[in-house]
Amino acid sequence: MLVFDRVSKFYRVKGFKKTILTDFSFAFPADRNVGIMGKNGAGKSTMMRLMAGIEPPDYGHVYRTSRVSWPLGFAGGFNGSMTGIENIRFVSRIYGQDTERVISYVSEFAELGPSLSLPIKTYSSGMKARLAFGLSMAIDFDVYLIDEITAVGDEDFKIKSKAVFQDKLAKSQIIMISHSPSTIQQYCDCGLLLEGDQIRFFDQIDDLLLAYKELNQR
Amino acid sequence: MRLIGTTELLSLQLRVIASLVLRETRATFGTSAFGYVWAIITPTVSVGLLVFIFSMVGRQPPFGSSLALFFATGILTLQFFNELSNKLMTVFDANRALLTYPIIKDVDTLIARGLLVAATYTLIMAIFYVALVTLGLASLPARPEQVILAFLATWLLGLGFGTLNAVVASLWDTWTQVEKILTRPLFFISGIFYVPSQLPPQAREVLQWNPVLHLVEWFRHGFYPNYNSTLLDVWYPVGVGAAMLLVGLAGERLFRRARY
Repeated sequence: MLVFDRVSKFYRVKGFKKTILTDFSFAFPADRNVGIMGKNGAGKSTMMRLMAGIEPPDYGHVYRTSRVSWPLGFAGGFNGSMTGIENIRFVSRIYGQDTERVISYVSEFAELGPSLSLPIKTYSSGMKARLAFGLSMAIDFDVYLIDEITAVGDEDFKIKSKAVFQDKLAKSQIIMISHSPSTIQQYCDCGLLLEGDQIRFFDQIDDLLLAYKELNQR
Repeated sequence: MRLIGTTELLSLQLRVIASLVLRETRATFGTSAFGYVWAIITPTVSVGLLVFIFSMVGRQPPFGSSLALFFATGILTLQFFNELSNKLMTVFDANRALLTYPIIKDVDTLIARGLLVAATYTLIMAIFYVALVTLGLASLPARPEQVILAFLATWLLGLGFGTLNAVVASLWDTWTQVEKILTRPLFFISGIFYVPSQLPPQAREVLQWNPVLHLVEWFRHGFYPNYNSTLLDVWYPVGVGAAMLLVGLAGERLFRRARY
């Protein structure tokens, strides 16, 4: 269960108040994959951080009873001076996973070879993204939060990612932010559109895509 | 709806803190064993320097027969306190990236650092004092239980002050600089190279407000059979430490939103 109960969220930057959510209530349907669309700065990523529990809301509550992932596709949690293996070990430990299983899964999936024993700061951004993606896939979550990652790595890696993803979809739910209508169409079956002053829910993904198109033409 | 039980939450937090301690150890001391050696060398040099200066000018130890033991009880105590305060002050900023993982909370990083510093100083003090005894520069502590209590009290005061600093620094960056200036005089007012009980009453009147001085006195009370401090009030540093920890943790909760 993932429920927003009268959630308000705003930021104060140099005396200027930016409102992200006002009194927003929404229960994410448990058996459906939800796409989140909207223009840049509409608050999609903040909403996802609220879902994950990284940030507290200013008013209201976010209730979570399922295992919700961190927002994927984000390599920010890695410690640059620690090696790939050490970073994997740390994340598997905090999530209570079998460390050796996760390491072997990630090293097979991310195909980083001997680089895994090198500090993360020597990695290219592509390598980091592969490590981050592999790591999140190695841990079983009920809900995967995906913030605009679909295409990391080369063709082979993309095909592999897609296959793992499809496999995950059978057991878990996905909540995904994307600007790409084709990606949303492929993975989601309903969605939210953030328009700045209002948030609309669409039961059919085609309606969401249509409304998103209209929003961009406005 | 399934709610997570308290035991489950507690074991989760313990797991997170344990992982953080391991990660911090690795990040603080690096891959090489030299990191640990360095942690021992720093206080040795400070104590050695004071011993050297005092021997050069031909001074007797302010108390007892060992310059090294007298200065160690002062310097190691102050360094333990300072290390906690400095390490905790920057903890929220230093671990910003870790909060990517929602399972880790700010307080976990605070506890983990507090534990790591305590473990490091347990090791440093154990090695240091054992070395002094082995070299014949000190005798075994007269009241070992008091030494342990003094250590725990120093930890509490450092945790309290460090937590408070962390909260203030998260609201006002410049505090990290201000704190350094404000705590600099501690070296002179904590009884490190003199016996506070032998000071004139006017000086004692003022200095007794410094909780770190009480901790130094407490360590010496544990080591020397007849230190007989006229200033030592063990509840003072404990009370101040507990109060600061309480206010610090309350502040963490109160200003949590301001940090994002």
